[in-house]
Amino acid sequence: MSETMIDQVTAEGSTLLTRRDFARMFAAAGAALAIAPWKIMLAETTASCGRHAVVAFHMDQLYVDYSGTAIPYQPPLGARSGQAAADLSEEDFRRRFVYA
Amino acid sequence: MVDFSNQPTMKGFFAPTRFEADVYDCEVIGKVPTELNGAFVRLGGDWLYPPKFEDDSPFSMDGYINMFRFKNGIVDYKGRWVKTPRFKADSAAHKQLFGKYRNPFTDDPSVKGLDRSVQNTTPLAFAGKLFTLKEDSLPYEIDCNTLETIGPYNFHGKYKSLTFTAHPKVDPATGEMICYGYEAEGLETNDVFLYTINKKGEVTRELRFKVPYVSMVHDISITKHYVIIPIFGFVSSMERLKEGKVHWGWDDTKPAMVAIVPRDGEAKDIRWFKGPSRATVHTLNAREEGNKVIFEAPIYDSNPFPFFPPVDGSAWDPTKARAYIRRQTFDLNSKGDGYTEEKLFEMNVSDLGRVDDRYLTQPYRYAFTAFADKQRPFEEWKAGNLGGRVNNCYGRFDLATGKMNSYFSGPTHSLQEVCFVPRKNGTEGEGYIMGVACNYAEVRSELIIADAQRLEEGDVARVILPFRATAQVHGRWMDASELPFA
Repeated sequence: MSETMIDQVTAEGSTLLTRRDFARMFAAAGAALAIAPWKIMLAETTASCGRHAVVAFHMDQLYVDYSGTAIPYQPPLGARSGQAAADLSEEDFRRRFVYA
Repeated sequence: MVDFSNQPTMKGFFAPTRFEADVYDCEVIGKVPTELNGAFVRLGGDWLYPPKFEDDSPFSMDGYINMFRFKNGIVDYKGRWVKTPRFKADSAAHKQLFGKYRNPFTDDPSVKGLDRSVQNTTPLAFAGKLFTLKEDSLPYEIDCNTLETIGPYNFHGKYKSLTFTAHPKVDPATGEMICYGYEAEGLETNDVFLYTINKKGEVTRELRFKVPYVSMVHDISITKHYVIIPIFGFVSSMERLKEGKVHWGWDDTKPAMVAIVPRDGEAKDIRWFKGPSRATVHTLNAREEGNKVIFEAPIYDSNPFPFFPPVDGSAWDPTKARAYIRRQTFDLNSKGDGYTEEKLFEMNVSDLGRVDDRYLTQPYRYAFTAFADKQRPFEEWKAGNLGGRVNNCYGRFDLATGKMNSYFSGPTHSLQEVCFVPRKNGTEGEGYIMGVACNYAEVRSELIIADAQRLEEGDVARVILPFRATAQVHGRWMDASELPFA
């Protein structure tokens, strides 16, 4: 299927996404995650129910769900394996991890 | 039974690893340059058993050698304990028998007289052999293919000092190694034995002299005609050891002293210069300009190591434990014992700096070291916050222009010591920088390889280990031409 064909307007009046548009939206979603990862919230949708669009997974693929009904993707927090040193004073940190 | 549960900070990324490992054909992100044929060899420490004393130095950790072997764009990893008599004794007893850093009076009586060395500081390739170095003992020879420990080495019986520095220097013009031992005749002796060893591994010269006070002599620099030997504030005594303390304490009243030793001279020819309190743990390079010796290093204002506490009982001062790249100039025509000092960069850096070793003794332009760039992002929610103490960049410091170019390792990483790998037949600074990054989000270590002339472009390859590599003190690139690799 060509991008032109994908880009056609459907009978319901909504627009199908081109691959390029999807990639752009995906990047924006990524940026939003980087800025406020705990919110998982994108721009408001026009959905009448007032729900927010969410980034979700379906069959191992990330997608933007404008209905707001999908289970939001929660990025992994990371192991936070440096936290063991968080509360150490400068002296205690150097005492233990002098060349860490 | 091994129990680290009473070691509250040995958690997370900082927990002991305690295993030996082989990883064949490591996972790589990017492309390993095929021109790299040799090994990046790292030496550091890990605790086989918990330390006997809470206030012991991390320099007492058991030695662990590991290497990333590069061949045809493929990288294999291997890690092994350095199996010293101390390691074997602890293993047999299933506990830590040895006490505080360089203090045999704190050991279990069952190990009296045994070699206390842990071999955890610097790897060395010289005269076709691989060694581990620790400044309180002789070098240990290691099989460069299996990394198994062969044993102590004394250069055919001609190296007489009981100790061997962790920082010998190889003169690129002659291939000779300038090396030394301090406390050369035993604990608390003020002797230094300085050696020249030719590229075949034969001792060709020995000079014995005494230092003004027993102190740490950790690193040196060389020029064509001189050896530059800094000593500074760390002090020790037999009384101190008998009181059960770690080997070193810091005495702020001791001046920083620098010996300029003629490479072909006698003890009477040594010039001692004296300056304000400083700690020159590691050096960069030195050169001669007429009758002046120019020496450059990342130098601390004062004691960088809180585990070697002030002898006057005062608190360790973190504000003075910052290293700055400085130049010290020693005028050999002067009648006095003073010298001049300049701060070359205003930013503080890791004192584990490196240069292009082909330019040792000569004028040079670039120094490489790690530093913390607070402007770069750090994702605490993935990595943990470490109290903000993260060396996240490698810098190339241009000593000619004062400019600095930097490589950023990523928002969940910190960097260990940098290593510079020159491109064969390349000009100064042409080649790669290499070093291991701690990835606190993924709990793994990653070997970074970046083009030294294009640091801002990021790494060209990352070699991924599926675990935490042991903490490194020093790492060295060893070209395939230097060692009999299989």
